[in-house]
Amino acid sequence: MEIRPILLSMKHNKFLSMVISLQVMLTVTVLTLAVSITNQTLSQWNMPSGLDHDNIVSVRTQFFDPSVNLEQAIINDVNRIKKIPGVLDVTPNKEIPFDAGRPSRVYLDSGEEAQGYNTNFFDMDENGPAVLGLTLIAGRFYQANEVVRGQDNEVNSPSVVMISEDMATELFGEKSALGKTLYLSKDNNPAQIIGVYSNFMNGERLNGRGKSYHSVLRPTVTWAHNANPNYLISVEKGAGPRLFDPIQEALYKIPGRYIYGIERLKRTQKRMYDGRGSQGAILLVVSVVLVLIASFGIAGLVSFLITQRRKQIGIRRALGGTKWSVVRYFIVENSILTLIGLAGGFGLTMTFAYIMAQNIGDSFLQFDVLIGCLCFVWLINICAVWLPARRAAQVSPAIVTRSS
Amino acid sequence: MFAYNFQLALRSIRQRKYLTILMVMAIGIGIGLLITVQTMAYHNQKMPLAHKANDIYFIQADNRELGADPIVRQPFMIYLTHRDATNLMQGQSPATAHTTVWKSDIILNSLSQEVRPFRSATTVTNSSFFSMFDVPFLYGAPWDAQSDIDGAPVIVLTKESNELLFGGENSVGKQLRINEHAVTVVGVLDTWDIKRRFYDESYSTSRHDTAFISDSFAIKNNIMRNERLDCLPENRDKRGFWRTNDIQGLINSECNFVRLWAQIDDESRAEDYETYLVNYVNSQKELGRFPREMNNFVTSLHTMVTLANELRSGNDPLSFIAPLFFIVCLLNAIGILLAKFMRKTSEVSLRRALGANKAMLMNQYLLEIIVIGVMGGIVGCALAYLGLQGMMRVMVYQSDYSVTIDNLRHAFSLDLWMISKAVVISVISTVIVGLYPIWRIVNIAPASQLKSQ
Repeated sequence: MEIRPILLSMKHNKFLSMVISLQVMLTVTVLTLAVSITNQTLSQWNMPSGLDHDNIVSVRTQFFDPSVNLEQAIINDVNRIKKIPGVLDVTPNKEIPFDAGRPSRVYLDSGEEAQGYNTNFFDMDENGPAVLGLTLIAGRFYQANEVVRGQDNEVNSPSVVMISEDMATELFGEKSALGKTLYLSKDNNPAQIIGVYSNFMNGERLNGRGKSYHSVLRPTVTWAHNANPNYLISVEKGAGPRLFDPIQEALYKIPGRYIYGIERLKRTQKRMYDGRGSQGAILLVVSVVLVLIASFGIAGLVSFLITQRRKQIGIRRALGGTKWSVVRYFIVENSILTLIGLAGGFGLTMTFAYIMAQNIGDSFLQFDVLIGCLCFVWLINICAVWLPARRAAQVSPAIVTRSS
Repeated sequence: MFAYNFQLALRSIRQRKYLTILMVMAIGIGIGLLITVQTMAYHNQKMPLAHKANDIYFIQADNRELGADPIVRQPFMIYLTHRDATNLMQGQSPATAHTTVWKSDIILNSLSQEVRPFRSATTVTNSSFFSMFDVPFLYGAPWDAQSDIDGAPVIVLTKESNELLFGGENSVGKQLRINEHAVTVVGVLDTWDIKRRFYDESYSTSRHDTAFISDSFAIKNNIMRNERLDCLPENRDKRGFWRTNDIQGLINSECNFVRLWAQIDDESRAEDYETYLVNYVNSQKELGRFPREMNNFVTSLHTMVTLANELRSGNDPLSFIAPLFFIVCLLNAIGILLAKFMRKTSEVSLRRALGANKAMLMNQYLLEIIVIGVMGGIVGCALAYLGLQGMMRVMVYQSDYSVTIDNLRHAFSLDLWMISKAVVISVISTVIVGLYPIWRIVNIAPASQLKSQ
């Protein structure tokens, strides 16, 4: 019915039609790429931490003077820090939540073929669970006499451990984890699981593999020269920044020490996410500006086309065309051009995604995002054409009779 | 004639001000993003030490076990063992100077403990480093050649670390400690405009080393190796021990961690160096080392940086998106241009009827488009400036404030070259997309549009 005249008019305005289609094609391509990458960048972003990260202070130190007695130093440090008003609890530690390093593996069996499960070990003394504010899901917390202390590489691994809720679910499913044994490395004695605690974030490395909350708590305090002790300190609500100086003063009481940094875990959490977050934000801003430009451009072109055809519209109206039929005419015309553009954009996106996958070595295109972007651009186009078309429909039928 | 055309062009631009502004903005936004991304890439691809890049060579040889995966491309090649680097430096080579580089983290602390100890990213090298790479000194000088042999306790600071330790005064002759070892300052570097830190292949633009110590001193005092150690499979579990505890064990092993740079002033002598390297490897083969077939690299700094640039480019999604974004903006501009010109059909047909020829109209509209292109370029530069400032701040935020804006500024600045590039791209692309609308309008038949009025 209406398709033929529309096609004819497109043929008449070949160049403009092509411009619209091309614009749609490139817009949808850029948008899909940007949104796909953003989506992938922001996956697992800003997950619940499971910790009161505003009120836990982390301090990282190192002894560079080999004459320091490390065992005594750690005892003195802990005592000095505990005496500071505002400090609730303190534990020596190695890995820091939000910043855990390379994942370790645990096994359910010994032997060469045993399947390894990725996790992060958190070494703390008996105050560790209280500092982190972990809640007990099952079993019990470990006690002071179960904590293994000694020079790094010289101590045995602990005989009891605790694991996180998610870790327990991965290892044992619905069954209780209590009393089960866990191999912390292949060539070592197994440790018994005495408790399961609430989840907390380990770090970016396992977060990227969807195992944000997989951790094992080892009742261990070890030391070595040119390596940490680090400390985690839980403080009274809001006291964090005020205590940085007193804590550093207390630590500097032992000479031959260097302090890497002192911060609240909140800051550690920011550092964990901000690289990805800001990259995602940049891409999103670019996408939004692009959609705005493209829709303004298309609205402008359509309104130009309409002013050119005022007379034609007048004739249609005079011959009995309703306002709705005029609007519909422009929407159908625009939709045909948009569809051509969308089809082209689909092909172009796939090509680019292929090239980028070759470059980066990882595929990132998500089909639901692609479909979503296609629909979104089409919707934007309908909006862009709707307003000028409505205006065109207001052209009074009498206009044709006037000028000529 | 030109002046007349120019006047007409300007008038036409003014006639439909909003359409012109829209066009300029569309082009400007596109150029803005494009130039932002390109400026960042441009600074990240700059040639460090450009005046010497063809005289400095990087030396590598493959001493790994037979079963190891072959390495074909230079950027993936391992470094040398400490003893090979030493032997090559001491042999009768065609190079005029050699230097080795490996990295460490040391804790600098003053004897009086007045200043808080701080960690310093450190380069362990020899005295030739400073002359080979034209390192500027603010106070003092590099350590002497004798110190390279006897491991004298000396250190070269940078302006930054001198500021922290001695408040910026001339600290030559003063003492401080590296971990627990007392050392004397012999020199302080001036600001070293290195562009990118090439000498350790990190190509970092924002983080600088803060101390330099001699290889002999580091070995004597077992200064920690902050390096990847490429070792034979049977030695891999010893790496942790060798890194921090046992430097002699590491030196005697087949672990690679030392970068060797040679200065070869005459390009033709680079081939001599290759022969020298082949002879050396053959002599080692006789001792039962270097079991694989010969795989050596003698790469000029220039080639090395070019290869690294190729490897790094194209990984940033924005570098893909920016050109496409620009094309969308151009398409927008062309639509607006067409709309603008179409409204002038009657004027053009009148002028044609009154005797204006096609070439003249063409000139006039071309001028108009060029003016729009230039304006788009200027707006683009302004937006790119804002974009770069924003990106710089994102960078600071991303590094969790561990780099400062002062350290980054040079890598995010628009220079004359990028500005002219912006304007040229803008003008050329506007002219290209403007050709069709111009062609349409100048081909209007004279007087054809006058009938209806």
